[in-house]
Amino acid sequence: MRALRRFLHRVVNAVTTQAQEERLREEIEGHLALQTEENLRAGLSPVEARRQAMLKFGGVEAMKEDYRAERGLVFIDNLLGDLRNAGRTISRMPGLAAVIVVSLAIGIGVNTTILSWIQMILLQPLPAVSGASNFLLVEPRTETGGYPGASWLEYRDLQTRVPALRDIVASQMVAFNVGEPGHTERTHGQLVSGNYFSALGLKPAAGRFIRPEEAERAGTEPVVVISYDYWQTRFRGAPEAVGQKLRVNERDLIVIGVAPREFQGTMLPLKFELWAPATMAPALLGGTRDLDDRSSRAFSLIGILKAGATREKAQVEFSTAMAQLARDYPEASAGIGGAILPFWESPRGPQRMLLSGLAVLQGVMLLLLLAVCGNTANLMLARGSTRQREMAVRVALGAGRWRIVSLVLSENMLLALLGASLGAAIAVWGTTALRVAPMIGAFPIRFQTRVDGLTLAFAMLLGAACGLIFSAAPAVHLARLDPQDGLRSSSNTPPRSRARRVLMGVEVGLAMVVLIAAALFLQSFRSARQTDPLFRPEGVLLAAYDLSGRNPDEASEREFAARLLERLRALPDVEAAAIATNVPVDLHGMPRRSFTVQGRVRTEAGQDRAIANTVTPGYFQVMGIALLEGNDFAEMRDKAAPAQAIVNEEFVRRYLNGAEAIGRSIKTRAGSFAIVGVARNSVYDAFGEPAQPAVYFSYREIPWDQGEIHLRTRSGNETALTSEARGVLRDLDPMLALYDVRTFYQHIERNLFLRRIPARMFAVLGPLLLGLAAIGIYAVVSYAVARRTREIGVRLAFGATSGRVVLQIIRENLGVIAWGTAIGWVLALVISVRATPKRAVNLPIFLGVPAILLGVATLACWIPARRASRIDPMAALRHE
Amino acid sequence: MKQKADVLQGTLALMVLKTLDVLGPQHGYGIARRIEQISGDLLAVNQGTLYPVLLKLEQEGAIASEWGASENNRRARFYRLTREGRKQLQAETKDWEQTAAIIGRFFDAKAEDLP
Repeated sequence: MRALRRFLHRVVNAVTTQAQEERLREEIEGHLALQTEENLRAGLSPVEARRQAMLKFGGVEAMKEDYRAERGLVFIDNLLGDLRNAGRTISRMPGLAAVIVVSLAIGIGVNTTILSWIQMILLQPLPAVSGASNFLLVEPRTETGGYPGASWLEYRDLQTRVPALRDIVASQMVAFNVGEPGHTERTHGQLVSGNYFSALGLKPAAGRFIRPEEAERAGTEPVVVISYDYWQTRFRGAPEAVGQKLRVNERDLIVIGVAPREFQGTMLPLKFELWAPATMAPALLGGTRDLDDRSSRAFSLIGILKAGATREKAQVEFSTAMAQLARDYPEASAGIGGAILPFWESPRGPQRMLLSGLAVLQGVMLLLLLAVCGNTANLMLARGSTRQREMAVRVALGAGRWRIVSLVLSENMLLALLGASLGAAIAVWGTTALRVAPMIGAFPIRFQTRVDGLTLAFAMLLGAACGLIFSAAPAVHLARLDPQDGLRSSSNTPPRSRARRVLMGVEVGLAMVVLIAAALFLQSFRSARQTDPLFRPEGVLLAAYDLSGRNPDEASEREFAARLLERLRALPDVEAAAIATNVPVDLHGMPRRSFTVQGRVRTEAGQDRAIANTVTPGYFQVMGIALLEGNDFAEMRDKAAPAQAIVNEEFVRRYLNGAEAIGRSIKTRAGSFAIVGVARNSVYDAFGEPAQPAVYFSYREIPWDQGEIHLRTRSGNETALTSEARGVLRDLDPMLALYDVRTFYQHIERNLFLRRIPARMFAVLGPLLLGLAAIGIYAVVSYAVARRTREIGVRLAFGATSGRVVLQIIRENLGVIAWGTAIGWVLALVISVRATPKRAVNLPIFLGVPAILLGVATLACWIPARRASRIDPMAALRHE
Repeated sequence: MKQKADVLQGTLALMVLKTLDVLGPQHGYGIARRIEQISGDLLAVNQGTLYPVLLKLEQEGAIASEWGASENNRRARFYRLTREGRKQLQAETKDWEQTAAIIGRFFDAKAEDLP
């Protein structure tokens, strides 16, 4: 107890040094005055009285030392002293400190940013929803590993059949037309189950949420919840928004509430603005049968675990339930099992791809940070060797090894933590930048990343680790110092340290590995994009129209499409025109349809499935997909021809074993179709995919109320067609608007968006790292050169040309750099060959990156070398 | 001399406590004078060593201090015994008496006294 109190006093005292010193001084003064008076009374002369008093008091300084030792903690005193000293040392080398702090900050900032992204995906999959990391995706899964989604009836069954899940919520993504006809705005929303908001544990920002009974019976409750942003932008955040009517898909919906600010729906990273009861689907989606058709798998399910239940238990119960459903409803559910997945394994969103990419990215960036540490250690070592004298004096005056180490450590830790703080600031900026980055496409996307306590702690931890790493070499070096040696060497020229050269080599080697990794990444993203799609996207304009508001019958849909095509083909710049229900390389993939084909006997259970697209005649011409056999579809108005289908090569190979396809019949739920042609394979879902079987149906037999217009231009300037196409549609029906107009390339770009994020990261960070390496080399060389001013002066005085001096400095340093580069290169090569399946070496990268790195390194050596060679020899010699 | 100082270091704290117990609040000089008077020349040359001891006692909570005016009207720091200090003094006095008694008996013991 007494010891504790004494300790606490000491801690306090350590901080209040000044006041304590003052108190002691005053006490001593008082003591001496009293003693002097006493002595005066005893008859001594004033001078002698004072002298005797002081003698009696004893050694003041020795006493003070005891007093201080008693007062404070030597450890804390020393630490504070070290920190003060570190502050002074750092302020004496602002340039060097700036380089160290900034390079560390970038390294730490990048790592922290990436961690915050990983954290977003792993720990906070649903913004505004607390505890969302315990939420699970409930995904029906086909035998072939596809995730078709759940039907509404299936969802209702599952609600009671998976007891391990406290709640299951369902949602379906829809594009609404909000506003009066002619002034509609496409707004994305979700049709949700009645327990959606309550199960997610959300509190409305205004009004209320959808009640469970509002999603019981079809079409009775025309209510809608709007997003916070929508509330702010459309209703200016007015409380009266609640209760107002919103015209959605030509139906009046009453706004009942506003979702919390951060909430953006449950299909991350998509951002939704409206939520309506799922039971409004038939009313809003033109009489869709989503609510009572078990084969219409339009909903995504999210389950919330009951307290104490595990994912494994939920998985077992879910599988059992799906097996039961497959027995009860073989037509719709045969062969469909289920998987319970965490959010980051979501089969639809970009999470999984992002996460694996980010993990690699994090690894690469940690290497980068290590390179920065090497660089910093080098700089500190260079500086440390010029401080040998200082350290030798300290050792000679009795400083222990640990005092020296702690001195160096505190300097470096201060730098490291400064870097970490700045890095955290960079991370905050970086995450905000991603948050506000405009991500406009067919679908609004928002990433809500943030830097929180965890990521900040990570940044600081990285900083401390870096500090330790780059303190090690200088601290050991200085602590081993023999004071005699240090004092004797009067020259300021440090001996050439091998450690420094090794460190520079290591740093460059690490940079090499990281740069090659970055280049390979970029390259792989690029090549995915440059893969031949096997159709011709150039010169094609895409645009969508939607008749669903008109509630047309099949005949009028067919007639509308036929007239639209006639008018479009009449435009002078249109080479070919077609309408299709789906566009390849869509973010959401192409639909698949099950069928039976004549002449094929399935041995295993289940059904054959193929990608399905319904197209008008002329489609293959617009797309540039060759028909290998047979003919295109019959004209739209042809009433005589039988129902037709066209299959692709892969279909023939896989399902007909390459036998003659023309003339065979395909049966689907929609009817029986005769195969009239075989088209070439092309890309359907993603670049680089393996060949997939596909069936094309004709718009003539299966007309739709929506369509994607495909226009091929003669001139090659497809965007010029936009206004003419708009005009054509307006002529046909003034209430209709053309929407989502884009060139085929824009369509592809948009859908490669998520692949582009990591690619862009590398595109930015690659040059950044190169810059860092350059700064590192520049700083080390310029430091070394500055220390050798006298030597260079002597050389110049003896007649060396500045060119020779420059050349020599470059040669000395480049030798080490080349070694590092070579080792890094070999390392990267080994990793690359092992990691790539084909064991192919990307020569341009493996030759180009070292060339660039060496070029930059040379430049970084050359600048300080040239500056050194320009000095006046006389000035240089007087320098000491 | 050295031995004398060592003894002093170990017992000075106890002397300070006892002094404050007897005289009431005192400044450093007063304590030093008192110890000097009683112990003769023990503290004659090194009055300064008193201050670290005072600080230690204060940090332990055995004494407390505050500024006051000395007899010559100077500002001086006055130390007084706290309740805890008084307890400590009692305990240490007992200890000391015990130790002294034992040591005393030890010194008094002659060979023939042992059984």
